[in-house]
Amino acid sequence: MRVSSAEETIQRLIFSLSELEQLGQTLISGHSNFNVSSKTYLRITLGTLQASGGAIYCFHPSDNHLTLAASTPESEMSPIEIEQTEVETLLECSLIALDTPPESLQQFIDRNAELMDGNVKHRLWVPLKIHDEFLGILSLSGLFGRAKFEEWEQELLNILAHQISIAIAYSRIVEGIQSEKFRLFMLAESAPQICQLLQPEDAAEQVVHQAVALLDANVGGLMLIQQAQQKLELRYIFPPTLLISEEAGEDDKETLSISLDSDESETSESDVKTSLDMLAGVVKEGKTNRCFTKADNLFGGRNLMAGPIQGRDGDILGVLVVGDKEERGGRTAEFTDEDEVLIDSFAKQAGVAIENAHLHQEALEARQLQTEMEEARKIQENLIPDTLPDIPGYEVAGHYEPRGPVGGDYFDCIELVAGGWGLAIADVSGKGMQAALLMATLRAGLLSELSSARGRESDESVDMKNELIDMAMTLNSLLYVSGTEEKYATFFYSHLNPDTDILTTLNGGHNPPIIVKNGGSIVWLGEDVGGLPLGMFPNDMVPLIAKYEAEQTKLESGDLVIFYTDGVTETVNIDDEFYDEERLEQIAKKSHGGDAPSICNLIYESVMDFQGDADQFDDLTLLVLRKK
Amino acid sequence: MANKLDIQIRAERQYAVLETAGYLNDALGEKLSKKALELIEKGYTQLVINLDKTALINSIGISILIEIIEALEEREGTLNFCGLSATQERTFRMMAIAKYAGIFPDEKTAIANF
Repeated sequence: MRVSSAEETIQRLIFSLSELEQLGQTLISGHSNFNVSSKTYLRITLGTLQASGGAIYCFHPSDNHLTLAASTPESEMSPIEIEQTEVETLLECSLIALDTPPESLQQFIDRNAELMDGNVKHRLWVPLKIHDEFLGILSLSGLFGRAKFEEWEQELLNILAHQISIAIAYSRIVEGIQSEKFRLFMLAESAPQICQLLQPEDAAEQVVHQAVALLDANVGGLMLIQQAQQKLELRYIFPPTLLISEEAGEDDKETLSISLDSDESETSESDVKTSLDMLAGVVKEGKTNRCFTKADNLFGGRNLMAGPIQGRDGDILGVLVVGDKEERGGRTAEFTDEDEVLIDSFAKQAGVAIENAHLHQEALEARQLQTEMEEARKIQENLIPDTLPDIPGYEVAGHYEPRGPVGGDYFDCIELVAGGWGLAIADVSGKGMQAALLMATLRAGLLSELSSARGRESDESVDMKNELIDMAMTLNSLLYVSGTEEKYATFFYSHLNPDTDILTTLNGGHNPPIIVKNGGSIVWLGEDVGGLPLGMFPNDMVPLIAKYEAEQTKLESGDLVIFYTDGVTETVNIDDEFYDEERLEQIAKKSHGGDAPSICNLIYESVMDFQGDADQFDDLTLLVLRKK
Repeated sequence: MANKLDIQIRAERQYAVLETAGYLNDALGEKLSKKALELIEKGYTQLVINLDKTALINSIGISILIEIIEALEEREGTLNFCGLSATQERTFRMMAIAKYAGIFPDEKTAIANF
């Protein structure tokens, strides 16, 4: 009997050595994930020790929980909580017989016996540990035909438990390395990727997505500072369904903004009670912060971390937020100091990306504006006459000079079908395509009016003054419906009958032209009978504010009429002085006696001399009419 | 990108395709792992994971994919991925996942390369 028992022992020892070798191979085979290899470890352990059943429980220190990694026979178990004192007791023990456990563990065993038993009747626990690190429990049930372990079997059990502990620790180290490798790669990879995004919306979305993945988070958001209103405004949130859960609804932008008003954002660490406090604090202090809050109206009650988004010059552009960090097994984890470093580093890259996208957007808008300006300029220049007609008994000359962004000056001299001549000068408000289109509308409307009934002086019943007033009302209505309140045109129209030398004029809010009489005296035309600019108010309001009026002047030989836009009188010199009406009057008197083109040129040169090197932003237009 | 977690399974005689939709984090990863291990238990050793509708993967998602590869390796099986974005493909290569699993542009090619 003694020989056969010795032989059996030797055979089991040989088997054990072979199984231990297999354990070692499992460990170095590359199957680092203990979730996968735990069943193999348990099978080898049970086979070596000839135990009928058992289980391996893994300890998760982040939240002091034990989870079932493997069991024979197979069973399932929800994670169970374990107190720190109980962990400390387990660390002090090597083998624990469950019928006589240490007193400090009795409560834990009683509390969880039902949960942990499952299909396994546990009899013996071996704490899994390396030095002072508790890793889990190896639990064994009945032994085949034996009441208890021999001493050498206990030693073998300790060796196997140590192997399993090494496997768990190794698995965690590898998982940690993989996780860090993943994070470093993501950090390196994300920078060029997000910097390539040229649309601010795309950049915001990618920044949040990358941050969420990088930090194993489940929610994230990007808020940028709205400088004008001193608010943080939400630009992107992940998952987007978070918005739907907002009480106020997804369209209520107010709920997605945080005031950065100094009184409201005064925060210290102890004041941080909500994510709103935290986000305002991150902007104010320019450094990463964390909080766990239940009272929150943006991200809900969540474990949050936020880092400042900075531009190239160090200005805070906004805040990057992540929340609900997770661990394997669905457990929520707290953000660590390392996570703070990570979000800080990522937020720096994100700042460059977001700034790039916004700069690109601005450049695109500027280019689009420039293109529009060029198109508008072409439209406008096509509306200005290249040459002016010869009016019998008169000289006429004009000059148009575009200066700066497209304004909207217009002048024309039109021979009327019904006889006579129409001289128009106008200045459309605003700039760019809208101004050019409004000017085109004005010109089309004017030509249409002039080609129909206006100017039929041969019909004695027609009162020219009323004709011009009617025309002004028609043009006012046309421009009012064509533009906005800010879009209007100052307009001065003159009808010249060269047979009678009667000049009938109407002023729609334009600079009054000057008449320099043959004797040198000055008359300002339309100064006392000025109406409103065209298109500023609807027709029914015009009479209530300032109705259009017309006046008539008889021109005599040598009389000079100078029409101009405010680009002349509002030209500034380097001392910020206006050229003004006084200088225009002086040069007009001085020029008296010359022909129309030379007078026009003299006035222009005078304005240019006055201007010197000062920048100008408004077009300059002159139209000169002289009775021979 | 809505974070609607979903897994579609198309099991044929020789192989099975698992198609994920949403953020591959712990929640979706655990679902994927459970489905994959069930298929492996049923004897499937050729699996395709289609990530076309998964734009975002975190480190836990990666570790779960590695776990599935290891579980398949134990049965001498093969895992092929498809529908990866360029960044995901680079990540998989950097994480050495590409050493133990195939990466293909689409499901058809992934299936044809078992």
